[in-house]
Order: sequence, then C-alpha cells, then structure tokens
Amino acid sequence: MAELVRAYGRGLAAVFAGLTAVWLVLMVALPMANMTKRAFTLEIRDGPSAQMRVELERARQQIAVIDFDIAAAETEIARGSAPAAAPSPSDPFAGLTGRASPGMAAPSPGGGGAEPPEARIERLRAERAEAVAAIPAMAAEVERLRAGEDARAGLSVENFTTMSPLHWRVFGLTFLYCVAVTTIALVVCYPVAYAVAQAQGTGRAGLLLLGLVVPYAINELLRIFAWTMILANNGILNGALDALGVIDLEGGETIRWLASNGSVFAVMVYAYVLFMVFPIYNAIETLERAQIEAARDLGASVWRIHRRVVIPHAKPGIAVGCIMTFMLSAGSISVPGLVGPGLHPDWFSQIIYRNFFEAANWNVGSARALMLLILSTAFIIGVMRAFGVGVKEIAK
Amino acid sequence: MLDQARMQGREVALDGLSMRFGDFTAVHPTDLTIRAGEFFSILGPSGCGKTTVLRAISGFAAPSAGRVLIGGDDVTALGPNRRPTALIFQSLALFPLMTVWENVAFGLEARGMARAERRRRADALLELVALEGQGDKRPAQLSGGQRQRVAVARALAVEPAVLLLDEPLSALDLKLRQHMRAELKAIQRRTGVTFVYITHDQGEALTMSDRIAVMNAGRIEQVDAANVIYDRPETPFVATFVGEQNVFEGRVESVAEGFAAVATPQGRFRAIDRAGLAPGEAAAVMVRPERTAPAANAPSDANRFTARVERIDMEGPYLIAHLRAGDAAAALHVPNLAGAAAGLTGAVEAAFRPEDAAAFRPGGRARG
Repeated sequence: MAELVRAYGRGLAAVFAGLTAVWLVLMVALPMANMTKRAFTLEIRDGPSAQMRVELERARQQIAVIDFDIAAAETEIARGSAPAAAPSPSDPFAGLTGRASPGMAAPSPGGGGAEPPEARIERLRAERAEAVAAIPAMAAEVERLRAGEDARAGLSVENFTTMSPLHWRVFGLTFLYCVAVTTIALVVCYPVAYAVAQAQGTGRAGLLLLGLVVPYAINELLRIFAWTMILANNGILNGALDALGVIDLEGGETIRWLASNGSVFAVMVYAYVLFMVFPIYNAIETLERAQIEAARDLGASVWRIHRRVVIPHAKPGIAVGCIMTFMLSAGSISVPGLVGPGLHPDWFSQIIYRNFFEAANWNVGSARALMLLILSTAFIIGVMRAFGVGVKEIAK
Repeated sequence: MLDQARMQGREVALDGLSMRFGDFTAVHPTDLTIRAGEFFSILGPSGCGKTTVLRAISGFAAPSAGRVLIGGDDVTALGPNRRPTALIFQSLALFPLMTVWENVAFGLEARGMARAERRRRADALLELVALEGQGDKRPAQLSGGQRQRVAVARALAVEPAVLLLDEPLSALDLKLRQHMRAELKAIQRRTGVTFVYITHDQGEALTMSDRIAVMNAGRIEQVDAANVIYDRPETPFVATFVGEQNVFEGRVESVAEGFAAVATPQGRFRAIDRAGLAPGEAAAVMVRPERTAPAANAPSDANRFTARVERIDMEGPYLIAHLRAGDAAAALHVPNLAGAAAGLTGAVEAAFRPEDAAAFRPGGRARG
C-alpha cells in the first residue's frame, strides 16, 4: 500500500484500493457468501407444515363461507315479515343491501323452506364456533411443524445428501470428461505452443499466433454452431464422406457425429484451446534457445530434451493452461447443450442451470454449484501439487 | 585424476566450407585444418562469420557447400548430437532447474548411464574444474566463474574429441577472465582435447592459443601462432585488428631485398614489404606503438619522424604518448619508469626500425 502511494500518489492509490475493495466485497465475497448460505439452507417446499398451512387456510375460508350464509339467513329473517320470499321487484337493490349477494346464499330462500332461517342460523353459528375453535390448534400445529422444519432447515447438508444417484453419476462423469478434455487439449496444444515459440523470426511466430487468435474474434456460440454445421447428419463432414464415397447420403446412410462424447470433446477442445496454448507458449518462449541446443549437443533425444529441459521450464504454463481449460470445460454449458443433446449424458453445469432457471430451486442449485467449485478447487490444488508449482510461479 | 581426465583430441578439417543465408555469404569457401589436441582460436570482429564456422563444426548449421571432417570422418550430414564435439555456449546455457552435478552428467544421462556411475563421473569432473562439493547446488547459487567451470565440466563429460567454445568468457569481469584463461588452458593441456575457441578479444586469443585464425568478412586471413600473427601479420586487416598500429600512407619509391622504401608526408620510411609492392604504388607503412620510441637512442638506419605530443595517457605498465605528425596520428608506448614522461612535450623526434615496420597496400584495415 505504501508502495502504491509512493508510485501513484495518494488519490490514485485510494481509487485502486477502493476499486479492489469493491471488487472483493461485491464481486467475490458477497456472492460467494450468499451462494454458500443458500447451499446449506434447506428449503422444504412440500413438507408437513406446508400441508397443515393449506388446511388452516381452508378452514379460514370455510369460516368466511359460513359468515356469508349467516348473513344471508339474517337478511331472510329481516324480510320474514314480508310476504314475498323472492326479492321485491320494487326494490331491485334489496339483495345488495345485505353483506353478500343473494346468489351466494347456499339454500335458495324459496327452496321448499325445508329449514326455517332461524334454525339455519343456529346451526351455522354452531358450525362456525366449532371451526373457529379449531383454528388456534391448527395454527399452533403449523408453528410446531414449521419450528421442526426450521430446526432441520437452518443449517443443513440435505441439499447435498439428497442428490439423486443419477446426478452423482453425472457429477463424476463431468469430472472425468473435463479431465479428458484437459488432457486432449494439453496433448494438442503443447506441440503447437512449442512450434510457435520456437518458430524462427518474429514474422512466422506472429502469423501462427494470428491464425490461432483470429477464430477467437468470433462469438463462442457461433464457433460452436459452426461445429454443429460440420457434424450434423447432413452436415459438411458427412457430405465430404459422401463425396469420397465412404457413405451414401442419398440412400439415407449417415454417420451420427453429434450427441456423442467424441464430438463434445472435439468441440470443447476447440473452444478452449487458446487458454491452453497461450500460457504454455508464454512459458516456452522464455526458455533460452541455447538450452535446447545444449541438450541436443550433449546427445539428448528429442523426448529427453522435452522431458528434462522444456517441460520442467514450461511447468507453470502447463499448470495454468490445465487449470483454465478444466475450469472452463467444467463450467461449460453451451458446448454440451448445443453439441451433445440427446445421446450424450448431461454435463453437471446443465443440472445447475436447470435448478436455477427451470426448477427455480436456487438453494439446490447453489449446492450443486458449490460442489462444482469444490471439485475445481481440488483439481487446481491437485494440478499444482502434481507439477510442483506454487502460486508464485503461476503468477509469473 | 590426470589419467582419468585424459581424452583423445581429434583433428578438425574444413574442406571448401561455405555458408550462405539467402543473398548473404557468411563464410566464403574455406579450407582449414585444426590439429588434434591443439588450442585453436578463431579471432575476428563481430559479424565476421566466426560463430557460423563454429556452428558448422558443431552441426547446428548445415554448410551450403563443402565438408566438415573430424578425425578424418566426414560428419557433414550428422546432427550435433551425433558428432564427437561439445559446445560451450556464450550464455553457458546451464540447465537452471537441475543441480550442478545433474548438469554435468546430462550428457551421460542421455547415453543411458546408471545414476550412481553418473554421479561418480560428475564428481570426478567437478574435481577437475576445482568445484568439489558443489554438486548439489543449483547453477544460480554459483558465481560467474564457477558457472563457467560447470559448463566446461558438462561439455567434457561426454568425452568429446573437440571442444567448441563460443566466447564463453565475455560475461566475466576482467580479473576473472584472466584467471579463467589460465584455467581453460590448463584444462586443455590436461585433457588433450582439441579446443576451438571463438573470440573477438585478441588478448584471449593471444594468451591461450597454440594457433589463431584471424577472420574478416567471412574469410580467414591468416592462420598462425600468436607471436607470428602479432609480429608478422600478412594482411592490413590482421595487422590492424590484432594490436595497435601507427599507419603512414605514401607512395613506394623502391623495393629491394624484401624491404620497400615508402615516401610519406612524415618522411621516407623503409619497411618489410608484405604485399609484393612495386615502385610507384600507393602503400601504407605500419609499425606498432611499442616498437616506436623517442629517437634519442635509435640506430642509424632507423626511420625517423617528428611529431607533436597531443596528450599522454596512463595505461599502467606503460604510458601512451599520442602524437600528431601532419595528417597522421601516431602513438608510442613508453615504459612507466621514473621520469619517463619528462621529455615528452611539444615537438619530439620518434623512430622505429625498418624490421619492425611492414608495408601493405592501403585499405582493408580494421575499423576502430
């Protein structure tokens, strides 16, 4: 902080510190805290208290209905002296003077007169008293159940423990798939990054890099759609195979590329390849060329040069690339969504998405998201251990 | 130890070697034989093609024409890992992530030697270069001179027949550089490996080498022992690139018995004819400042000229008197003895012996 003040002056340093604080609190700490709280809060939506509350509500409605009936009966009694049972035409608003419209009164006034209004009021009053008497007990029951549920809900791991076996399977598969994507990306990108970093002359390296970067000027969704066009049943790939005579499109012979693990992998590697290439490229570029030549001069094979000289040097870059590719593929929703619908099992990120935006169950969604976060963090720590690099080297 | 360190140096021969990069010719067709077990230096200014020659010998650059032979075997088509050479890079190129002994043993590791044996050999080599007990450190923990020696040990570990050194001392400070010169020379003597040493520093070349090739603009101008290069340079470039020269330009009056008489604005000078000059031709007489002296004790046949002392520089062991004689600038070295500078003021008469001077055609001199 003192250094910042010295370098940029008090005002700018304060702005930096303020922005950093805002970022840390608003962008990182608060959302994380909220998500964590939700994840560990059980929201019981159709538990016994909810059912009891429905019954309580029903009882209250019942009382209101009885009140209507009593009011109707009272109106009848008030008119009892009048000979006409039906509302008088001279008084068309008579029905509106009561507390309810006449049509609402259950028994028709002229309905055979099976029960005199007085007796009906008596009966209704008894019913009402009974219903009103029952309400406190029900309310108490609701409170009791709620308290029970709240005690269970307050801090609970149930959002995690109640995950279905299917979702657990998807969780595990997502991890394995993402590891596979990361591995494939590493295998593809390391030679590319090495070639670009070693390319003679800045022109060639620039051209190679440009070739890698330009496709990334296109929106990610469009890049993925481009792949669905290639891989579709009547797409470019099958068309090419048809032209080569491998398959017969006209005859309805197609190879189903979409909705398979292979195509999801291929598209995902393509989608995130740059995040693997750049860190490795940057790391290899700082390797003194003479070291590679020295190793070669001492008789080392290509494999040994890479294993003993290049890869140890590029380790931090490889670790960063692996971490980024893993995180991006674990969180990817567009690639499995667009390329993999159908045969391909869901990606865990899709389950999170549905919990938030289709089931509107944010607490469960938060729990799932938190699981993915923990998985990713574990992966990062694992990779850093495996490569023997610390945060410092990665920061470089 | 000495017996263990003994290796077999081999001869290196360049047969019509030339190197072109596009339109640019880095090395013109060159024949050169470096004898087995000698300390051979290639001396030249930067950009003269000396490093390209080294890369051709080591196998990192393929010649455009010609052959490279090591111990009589044609290795032109072999890669650097299959030649009996080891290269010490200008930057040393030690592997920073390996320990010192792993660095030294890397070449043995590449040959599939067992770890324990590698360690033993590495320790023996570290002893040879006076780095006992430093094997478990990282290169970054060593001083510049120690890193230098690690690089030597690493190159010697593969028991090369030819050790190629690409200006390896240029990054060291003066004292260390002088110390390392003696050490490299001693290691070369002890191991018997052929050393090919690339440098632009004439001091290094002169002190260490058995023979020196002086290179200029892609051509080797002279190959000789250090004293011959210094005392009897064959070309104006060699004469002026190695050491200092006072140069007097004029016209040849006569040539007799290997000596040319050249009339210059500073006087008529006799000098050894190194260019087969003919009377009437333009010529440049060159003489080293340390062979130029105040005329007081000069023999009768010495060449003499008068000049004005412009300033006197202190070099330590000797003083340099900068003279101006008409258009020509000259210098003379005076041993730094008591009262040496006493008479060196105003106009002085300086002299040099004809045997110490050489006459060349003008042009082709080193810039500087």
